[in-house]
Amino acid sequence: MDQLTTLHASRLRRLQLVGVASGFTAGAWLGAAEAPTKMVTLGIPPVVISLVMVLGVFLARWSLPALLRGSAAIGADVREAPHLVIWAILAGCLWAVANTLTVFAIRDIGLSIAFPLWNANSLLGIVWGFLFFNELRGAGWPRWLGVLGGAVLMFVGATLLAVVSSTQAPSGHALRGVVAALTAGALWGTMYIPYRKAYLTGMNPLSFVTFFTIGELIMMTGLALSDQGGVTPLVAELTRAKAVIFWLLCGGFVWVIGDLFQQYAAKYIGISRGIPLSNTNQLWGLAWGILVFGELKGGGSGVYARVIGGSVLMALGAVAIAVATATEREHERWQEAGRREGERYGIDPAYVQSAMTGETTHPAAQRRSWLDWVVVLGATAVFVGFATVAQVPHLALNWSAMVGLVAASLALLGGAGWALWRVTGFN
Amino acid sequence: MGVKGEWGSGGVGRGRLTAVLGDPQFWVPVIVLIAGLVVLRWIS
Repeated sequence: MDQLTTLHASRLRRLQLVGVASGFTAGAWLGAAEAPTKMVTLGIPPVVISLVMVLGVFLARWSLPALLRGSAAIGADVREAPHLVIWAILAGCLWAVANTLTVFAIRDIGLSIAFPLWNANSLLGIVWGFLFFNELRGAGWPRWLGVLGGAVLMFVGATLLAVVSSTQAPSGHALRGVVAALTAGALWGTMYIPYRKAYLTGMNPLSFVTFFTIGELIMMTGLALSDQGGVTPLVAELTRAKAVIFWLLCGGFVWVIGDLFQQYAAKYIGISRGIPLSNTNQLWGLAWGILVFGELKGGGSGVYARVIGGSVLMALGAVAIAVATATEREHERWQEAGRREGERYGIDPAYVQSAMTGETTHPAAQRRSWLDWVVVLGATAVFVGFATVAQVPHLALNWSAMVGLVAASLALLGGAGWALWRVTGFN
Repeated sequence: MGVKGEWGSGGVGRGRLTAVLGDPQFWVPVIVLIAGLVVLRWIS
């Protein structure tokens, strides 16, 4: 087990920087994922919205890994640590239930209040990271202060943003909405236990998500069938929604890009830091809402002061966490947790070590086959098919703001993707 | 607690399943998932 040696300081620093960049990029893309869902007109059951988004997620989670790494490499990963298939499916089930709860929460208390409530998942992530995976152990009080203080700052900032439009929240069922949002946060915060377990043991995030999405689809289909009362009513509801299915699929696809970066953040900086950084998605969601969709238009100066104040607090919290990267001593404690996982599940220590340091575990397997191209083309065909029957809703959009936000998101994607490729080869 | 046997041969065998079920950390997300389903049932 001594093969798990201490990482070279400069390599560790590079991995941490890549993790931080991934966290911020995740925030941008997870925030942007809300934009396509705004195209959806009212009247579609929440569970059906969630199911179609999950279908988009499923298509993206099979096609993107096939394109970036190839299914042979995914198969090789699974053969090294097959128990992670169970963990991935469990994480997918948690995600599906949480996502459905958020749709109910948005309906009952509005996005602006629901968002910060479920983003409290970062505080839970810190608890699980500390308790189960040795995160922040031996980190020293400045880093504790950075992570915990940053997470609290982000929570306060998020709450301030929520207060801004609380008067616009839909009436009735407030308690139900709050419970739904907090439960979604608990599910998402706990979902990071499987994530961290997988990455401490060495699994590639691109492999993990392909099995994760099976859990999502199974759970979501079950929920939708149960909610709609069988296959026939569900199909009828989907048929009625066919004009907006494309937008929901797009929402799912954009979400997956954000989630992939979130996975890399969880791998390289841990869940206690990765989750809060990904939670900057609230800032991006707000930027889309205010700048592109004209939300809060006509609000007084007090409204905008609270928006700016809350955003600054969230940004300061994110910066505090970003600079509180793990020390070599803390990283040794992570490796201890990795050794424990390896011993429990009997995984080759060399595999754990190479994967933890972001090195290629199966160089020969990283080739695309005809199967990968079939998956990519199939997923593309589904998107194109629904695009042909999609209707563009009449929305007043600020196109220049939209171009700016898309350009910023693409710049983050390109920068973080390039860094990930250079430092880890997407491992 | 470790799993003995044919690691690397593919599939999720009984030994691996036992290892997962014997991992105390496994039951935390399972319990949270069940709680989530109960809340979802109540809400919808």
